Order: sequence, then structure tokens, then C-alpha cells
Amino acid sequence: MNGTVAVARYTLLELSRRRILLVFFLVGAGGIVLLGIFLKIANTLTTGGSGSQSLNGATSLDPAQMSQLLEAVFVTYLLGALGIFALLIAFAIGMTTIYHDLESGTAVSLFSKPISRLAYTIGKISAAVAALVLVVGVLGIEALLAMLLFGGGLESALTAEVLAVVANTVVVMLIVLALSTWMNNIIAAVVAFIYYDVVSSLVVTIHNLTHQGVIDNGFLRAVFDVLYWVVPHQLTSSATGDIARTEIQLTGGTAADASQALATIPPASGAGDILWWALVVLVFSSLVYLAVRRRQV
Amino acid sequence: MAPVVSVESLRKRYRRRDPWAVDGVTFALEPGQAFGLLGPNGSGKTSVVKMIAGLLRPDGGDISLFGSKPGDPAARAQLGFAPEDPDFPKFLRAGEVLDYFASLLGLDEDDRKRRIPETLAFAGLDQERRQVRQFSKGMKQRLGIAQAILGRPKLLILDEPTADLDPLGRRDVRALIESLKASGVAILLNSHLLSEVELVCDTVAILAKGHVLKEGTMAEVVPEGRTLEDVFVELVEASSTKRDQLPSFISEKEQL
Repeated sequence: MNGTVAVARYTLLELSRRRILLVFFLVGAGGIVLLGIFLKIANTLTTGGSGSQSLNGATSLDPAQMSQLLEAVFVTYLLGALGIFALLIAFAIGMTTIYHDLESGTAVSLFSKPISRLAYTIGKISAAVAALVLVVGVLGIEALLAMLLFGGGLESALTAEVLAVVANTVVVMLIVLALSTWMNNIIAAVVAFIYYDVVSSLVVTIHNLTHQGVIDNGFLRAVFDVLYWVVPHQLTSSATGDIARTEIQLTGGTAADASQALATIPPASGAGDILWWALVVLVFSSLVYLAVRRRQV
Repeated sequence: MAPVVSVESLRKRYRRRDPWAVDGVTFALEPGQAFGLLGPNGSGKTSVVKMIAGLLRPDGGDISLFGSKPGDPAARAQLGFAPEDPDFPKFLRAGEVLDYFASLLGLDEDDRKRRIPETLAFAGLDQERRQVRQFSKGMKQRLGIAQAILGRPKLLILDEPTADLDPLGRRDVRALIESLKASGVAILLNSHLLSEVELVCDTVAILAKGHVLKEGTMAEVVPEGRTLEDVFVELVEASSTKRDQLPSFISEKEQL
């Protein structure tokens, strides 16, 4: 237990001194603030602080509605930016946390001490997850505060999405950690990206399309039903649906428009997806441990 | 007296088609004894000590470290290992590295407060504020020795401990070995510096191509009137194909 805590503590200290993480964090934090300020200025300029605005010449929006619409636009961009920065941070942590110990002589000094490989792996994974949650969490809190510039209202959507982003990037990070114990860390990052963000996303998208009836093929549906439960699939929050609903309401869309638009948006992940995520995390954590255990240094 | 470490018919190879890196090595080391493991480059010395430290898995033979397997953390708690070409978490400072390793060794707060500054001072790193990534090879080697002695081990393995040290550093390491030996610590020393080994070791084994060519006390291995280097060169050359002479272009005279 002491060994695990020591590994976690000093890994966190090391991560806090890595410039690449600091750069990603600062660029992300600065980007969120700038995006918020830019949209706020745009709001002030377009509404002049009062009066109404015409959208596509059809719907007239009062300043409060305009502010709400801008908030929805802001949150949409914010979610995209947050996802990208969380992914970059996950790669930066995953590529270095264990790889540098194994590839330098550090592991030789460490593993000759009375610490089991299991305790070492738990310490490393705990530190990596804590660092990721901390950095993305701070960015998420900053995003929530920036949203108040527009009066708020989509806080729960943003919070749920931040949680989903953290959960998804934890999986990516574990895949990179596991692969980087077998291969060069850059190759590990590329393989993890292809596996998680290309192959898995493609499988999930096609699976969703077969279930929405967009692809009407029984064989494909059966194949992708199986594949869906083979690859890790990203958890989704209700944020995208909530934002779309808000935008449709503000722009005067009908209930039919809303239901048609919302039908193409993936629903929020259910208990089954969350359990599957937990299993995937357990599997990849075990793979990290097995790789560290059999590694000769 | 029970041996601190005993190695029996130890074998290791890195790939199935490779020749054995270590083949049938046997020796034992008792408390207070200094054992020199000598051999040319690639003779298997580092592989042997890494197997004792539980870093490599043997393909054959037995190792007993304080009566346990090297994988047993309790056995490793009594071991200090200063690796050849050591490295450490590069964003930590020397004191933080020692504190990290002290935690892994399970040292309590009082021990840490006393031992870490003293060990840093011994390694000449007490005034050093830079992170490890900015250290020279010699500084890393000093830190490597510092972390190895921090837990007050009963067996200290030193793998080429003076390779990157200046003469003062070498003198300090020699004094350290003498002092530890006198207090009952067993020393396993891998070194190319035969004169140093001759000074501090009681017993030696000369390895080549993974085999022990000769083993015994210093008096048994080095006959009267000869040096360890004479014996080493003679044994190693006899066991291997003769090395090529200097490249022919070296002796060509410059055309004026």
C-alpha cells in the first residue's frame, strides 16, 4: 500500500512538471475564455444589448433568447474543444507515465526495491487517472463559469458531457498505457487512436445507423450488433440532444422538426453502456499490469 | 553461516536462437564477503546480477536471495542495487528521488530525515537543486549508489559503479565498500577495473561467454608474482577467438 501511494505521489509530481501537459492545459483554458469572450462580444454587437433580432428573416428573438442561442452555440463549440484537449492530455499522460520508466534505467532501480509490479501498476494508473480527471475537471469548471456569461441554463448538459469526456479519455489513456509497454510510445499512440477513435467510432456509428433504420440490412445489423459489444464504445451524454432541443425551440421549430432532428442524435448512454465501460477499464488496466509484470528490464 | 545469496547452475538467453548469455553459473556469497564478478563486455555479468535482483527471469538454475526467490519483495528489501548506467524519474530532484525510494523501502519518517541528507552529502548531491534530466552521467551514477545504500542493505550489488566517476568518486566508493564489508554487508561487484577489484574483493569469478572460467579467493585465482589483470587476460584470450590486430590503415604512414 505504501509503495502504491509513493508511486502515485511521485508520478503526479512528475506529471505536474511536464511542460507538454502545462501547454495543453493553458491553451485549452485560454481557448475556452477567448471563445466565451468572443461570443459575448458578438452577442452585444448583434443585439446592441436590447431590441430583437431576426433569424433567417423568419423568427424574431429578444435579447434573452439571443443570449440563450449564443450559449447553445458556445456550449457546442466548448464540447468539441474540451473533447480534443482531453484527448491530447490523455495521450500525453498515457505515452509517458510508464513508458519512460521502462525505457530508461528507472525501472531497473525501481523494480529492485521491495515493491510488487501490481503495486507499481496500480500507483501509475491511479496517478494517470487522477491527473487526467484534475486537468479536464478544471477545464470543465472553467467552461461552466464561462457559460454564466450568457446567463446559464445548460449546466447539467455540460457537466454530464464533461463526465462522459473524462470517462472516454480514461479508456484511451489506458489503451496507450497498455500498448506503450509493448512498443514505442508514438506507435502506441497512433495504434490507440486508430483503434479507439477510428475503428470503434466507425463500428458504433454504423451500429447506430442500422438501429435507426438508415441502413436497412439484416446481415449488417447482426454483424455490427456483435462488433458493438467487442470494441470499446464512447459514452455519450444527453448534452447534444439538450442543445439541439434548445436551438430548435429558440428558432421556432415545430415538435415534428424537433423529433426528426433528435432521432439522428445518439441517446445518452444507459446502465449497460456504463457497465461495459467499467469492464473495458478493468480489461485494459489488467493488460497494463500483465505487460508490466512480464517485462524484463 | 547461511549465504546471503546463492546461485546454482544459472542459465539465461534472450532469444531462443541466441547463444546462452549465462550458462551454468554457480556461486555463493556470505555476509561481510566482497565478491568480484569479472568478465569482458557481453560475458553475462550484468545478466547475472539482474537475475539476482529479480529484474530478469532465469531460463534455468536456482537463485536463493536471503532464503527466498528474488521476486519476493521481502528479500529485495535487504538488497541494494546500483545499476550500470542508472536513470531516475527525470523531472524529480535528487532528494525527491531518494524520498521516493525511501517510501518504497518502507523507511519511517525519522529514518528518512536522518538518512536522506546524509546519503545526499555522501553522493555530493546535497547542494544540487536541478532535476535529474539535467544531471551528468557521473551525477546519475552517484545517485544510483546513493539509492542503493539508502535502505542499509545486507547485500549490495554494484554493477560497474565507478565507470563514470572521477578519481575522487572512485576513492569514495572504495571507502564505502570497505566500510560496508567491515559492518557485515555482502558486496557483489561487477567491474572492469581489475586493480580496484583486487583491492577490495576477497573472492572473484571470471566469466566469459556466460561461463565461469575460474573462481576462488584472490590468492587462489592470482598466483604469487602475477596480477589479476594478467590472469584475466590469459583466461579470456584462451577462451575466445583472438581479436583482430589494429586496422591496417592505422599504421600507414602519412604521405608528405
